[in-house]
Amino acid sequence: MKTLLAVGAAVLCAVPFVGLPAFYESFLYLLLSAIVLATSWNLLSGYSGYFSFGHGAFFGVGVYTTAALTGKLGWNFLWTLPLAALTATVLGVALGAVVFRVRALRGELFALLTLAITFVLATIALNAVDGGPGIMVNADIPKLAPTASGVLYLLMLAAAALTLWTAYAMFHSRFGTGLFAIHDDEDVAEVMGVPTYRFKLAAFAISCALAGLAGGIHAIFVSYVTVAETFSIALAVNVVLMSALGGTRHWLGPAVGAVVITILLYAFTSGNAAVAGRALTGLILIVVIVAMPAGILGQSLKYFRKESKPRSKVEEDLPRQTVKISGEPLLVVRGVAKAFKGVQALAGVDLEVRRGEILGLVGPNGSGKSTLINVVSGHYAVDGGSIRFEGGELVGKPAHRIARAGIARTYQIPRPFPQLTVLQNVALPPMFGQVVMDRAAAEREAWRWLAFTGLEAKAHRLPADLNLHERKFLELARALASRPKLLFLDEVLSGLTPSEMDGALRLIRAIRDQGATIVFVEHVMRAVMELTDRVAVLTYGKAIAEGVPAEVMRNPDVVSAYLGAAHV
Amino acid sequence: MYEVTNVAVNYGAAAAVSDVNLRIDAGELVVVVGPNGAGKSTLINAMAGLHAVASGRLAVDGHDITRESPHRFCDHGIAIVPEGRRLFVNLTVRENLELGSYRAEARRTRAESLRRVSALFPVLAERMDVPAGALSGGQQQMVAIGRALMARPRFLLLDEPSLGLSPMVAHEMFRAIREVNAEGVAVLLVEQNVAMALELARRAYVLDEGRIAAEGEPRQLMSQPQIQRAYLGT
Amino acid sequence: MPSATLLGQSVLSGVFIGALYGLLGLGLSLSWGMLRQVNLAHFALAFLGGYLTFQLSGRLDPFVTLALIAPLFFLAGLALHWFLTRFSVTLLNTLLVTFGITSIIEAGIQWFWTADFHRMENAYAAVRWKVGPLFVSLTDVMTLGFALALSLGVWGVLRFTDLGKAIRAMTEDAPIAAAFGVNERLLGYLVSGLAAAVAAVAGLCLALNHTLAPVQIYAWMGVVFAAVMMGGLGRPIGPLVAGIVIGVSEAITMAVTNPTWAPLVSFSLLIAILLFRPARFS
Repeated sequence: MKTLLAVGAAVLCAVPFVGLPAFYESFLYLLLSAIVLATSWNLLSGYSGYFSFGHGAFFGVGVYTTAALTGKLGWNFLWTLPLAALTATVLGVALGAVVFRVRALRGELFALLTLAITFVLATIALNAVDGGPGIMVNADIPKLAPTASGVLYLLMLAAAALTLWTAYAMFHSRFGTGLFAIHDDEDVAEVMGVPTYRFKLAAFAISCALAGLAGGIHAIFVSYVTVAETFSIALAVNVVLMSALGGTRHWLGPAVGAVVITILLYAFTSGNAAVAGRALTGLILIVVIVAMPAGILGQSLKYFRKESKPRSKVEEDLPRQTVKISGEPLLVVRGVAKAFKGVQALAGVDLEVRRGEILGLVGPNGSGKSTLINVVSGHYAVDGGSIRFEGGELVGKPAHRIARAGIARTYQIPRPFPQLTVLQNVALPPMFGQVVMDRAAAEREAWRWLAFTGLEAKAHRLPADLNLHERKFLELARALASRPKLLFLDEVLSGLTPSEMDGALRLIRAIRDQGATIVFVEHVMRAVMELTDRVAVLTYGKAIAEGVPAEVMRNPDVVSAYLGAAHV
Repeated sequence: MYEVTNVAVNYGAAAAVSDVNLRIDAGELVVVVGPNGAGKSTLINAMAGLHAVASGRLAVDGHDITRESPHRFCDHGIAIVPEGRRLFVNLTVRENLELGSYRAEARRTRAESLRRVSALFPVLAERMDVPAGALSGGQQQMVAIGRALMARPRFLLLDEPSLGLSPMVAHEMFRAIREVNAEGVAVLLVEQNVAMALELARRAYVLDEGRIAAEGEPRQLMSQPQIQRAYLGT
Repeated sequence: MPSATLLGQSVLSGVFIGALYGLLGLGLSLSWGMLRQVNLAHFALAFLGGYLTFQLSGRLDPFVTLALIAPLFFLAGLALHWFLTRFSVTLLNTLLVTFGITSIIEAGIQWFWTADFHRMENAYAAVRWKVGPLFVSLTDVMTLGFALALSLGVWGVLRFTDLGKAIRAMTEDAPIAAAFGVNERLLGYLVSGLAAAVAAVAGLCLALNHTLAPVQIYAWMGVVFAAVMMGGLGRPIGPLVAGIVIGVSEAITMAVTNPTWAPLVSFSLLIAILLFRPARFS
């Protein structure tokens, strides 16, 4: 594999020196620039799902930076390239720093916003830099190869190599995994410990830098730049098309799409055929979106998926420690309040969770149990009160910091990352937990918890292939994989058959035996009575009783909260 | 008579409700109680056409409606007050009520139905032109019940109408339900407030883990151990 | 500083172009707000309507053409809705799919009418009045008239009829609306068809007032999106009001500074709305 890569690289580098007609150099140059643009677009948009229609703008910023510095100020061309990348990056980061803070700006709204940015930047470039007629670029091209087009080819080749390497490295790192999790479910990713804001911003910065670099090189290639040609929507749409065609969920997908589309468009360049080419790309776009959502590469990889097996039997190295329930409070909730549109979901909750115990948190529907979990895990900001975990205040901390402190949760309706395999789902939290693991270590850890929950056989399936009971166990495995000190279980039993329920109860006991403290939110009272050391009862957003299960459930207030007092 | 025979409803891949037999006689008031997650909402939604039935039969007066399109269910005299109310919050109270009488037959008696709802819930009369989303929880529940009544139902299906309401307001809701029933509308009430629901009804079903666990007279059921166990685990 | 007359003429032209923004935005707003489809192909459809009107203008009065193509477009709207629902295309993907449709229509236009600019000769364009110091042309007034009539008409239907209330209810909670007898599938087709038929009207106005060229399809997108998002999704009058606001501010920008700065107005507005009021669109 390594030798193959080396030979390929040597052949590609040799192209300008064998005296091919300039036409081939230009064609290969265009192919490479398409690869750079599509792949760099994919780093943000494909990986994290923030579809940008503004890639042309950052490319254009690169073009104009180099064009203005060489054409108007007479700078050396090579020196302008880092600046082209930098200018695009600065603009991207400035935009991202604002945009990524707004929770609702996802999906089509982000797409439209980036579209609008393209027009704004184009207008500024036209009026402030260009002045209208365009810029004549007259740069002295370094003599790296016999012809000028050969030099540009080599530069773009280097840019393509850099881009593909970046895409590859990101894809296989925890950075990439975090981005894919953001793509699938950003809120859950944050709760699992992914620093979503920083990751999105970093991905955007890298994406813009590479587009700006390509733009800088391209300024010399076209030698005469105009706003209309540079800041085109067509470019933005073409990179989307290429990436979608090749497959956005693989690092190499956009490159595959770029090659196919470039060849296709080239085949249709002359006369009326260009029109047919445009229609054809439109048709391809529709067909790909509707019929091939994973793209060419994604679709073919499905047939040849490599399935790694667990390295060894892992059950024996599960840590087994018998934790005594100490009276020491692990989590102390005081006076926590939260209202939604005037409805008081939590009205000053006081609650204490002690290290090593299983605390049952019960109460009628709508009493605020789920809200409490969402507040402790940092998904909602509280209106008032304090939440102390191991003595440290959690209120005001972002969710991923809370996860890192050692708090994990499951979701009542399972929320796995739908496009990550079961193994990848479980491997995510360890990468972002109290001890940061690299991807390989995290996968070893994940296998351990898949074995624990009996999901080993499904490790390479997608969550959609699991039944409800397996999905509930996937929730458990994912929450456990970060080795939390405190684990919130939100109605893990609902929807399970009685025998599945017994299995789940055994599992929860085993979890406690490993040293985790558990808050068990449940409606199946039989299970609560069987499993918990203490229970707390919530009703109308307040804790009305806390203590030994059998006693608490005989408390008249609790009985009337559940069965209602008759008023008739 | 609304008859549910051997009905199973799936939720995603899992069976939420299975093998349920239940009936509502004309003019009667029936309750379904059971702990959370027992499948009560799934059952009542299926009965209103909001959720497709996997197997079994739904029939009104012997007429099979199992495979009808959702928007046809109301033509058979079925109206639902769904869990969480699900009002059209951007529409005014009046518009919500008018929409309740969308089907042609109910449209003809719209003015009269509106008067009837106003009489039942006088507080709504002053708030007719306010967006439904701006009302308090209790008033929203009144609109939800009113909307269903506007459809001139013979079978009124109520899913936890007391949910999230203070005991006072919940009491008011039950008074209204009784009044509606007294006018001859058959009511199926799904409730978690067991004591209150059982005092209201003449006949009750206990749903537990997706199946009917018991059926009978409320007083009888109340003393049965199934209820205590299902709810309190004791 | 330009003269008062020039400024007045600018404002007036801004109002008229804003009316066209509103007309184009009406269909877009309906399908986005009511059907959760972002239909970029709406612009291409409007241009197709414009070109057809242009093509037949030698033989048919533009209004006769409209009467012919509006029903055809209605059918096209039904077909689009069938396609998007049949394959359960997500909101973001409707943007991409309809972009693909745009490319196809654009290619078709270019193949048939070439990439050149065309201007429709017609009797209406010759009618102009002088109101005080300002000029007003009949075709501009027609555009404003159409925009007002259609926006107010749709508003009235949505506000006062059972059908309109059913459509609004369906937008909020389709299953519950269905439980009260609303046939939401049928209404979905109706809205999609109507939105497309409005594109035919917009096409007529485009042909009456503007030059036609395939690249122009994209030129209108950004501004109209700004108008739709400012005006509110699923609201019939909003895009018209917002369109006129944008049109007038663009016209004033052009009169006061360099015309090339004009796009900055609408797009800055769009960005500002997205950043500060994103919750309006969820």
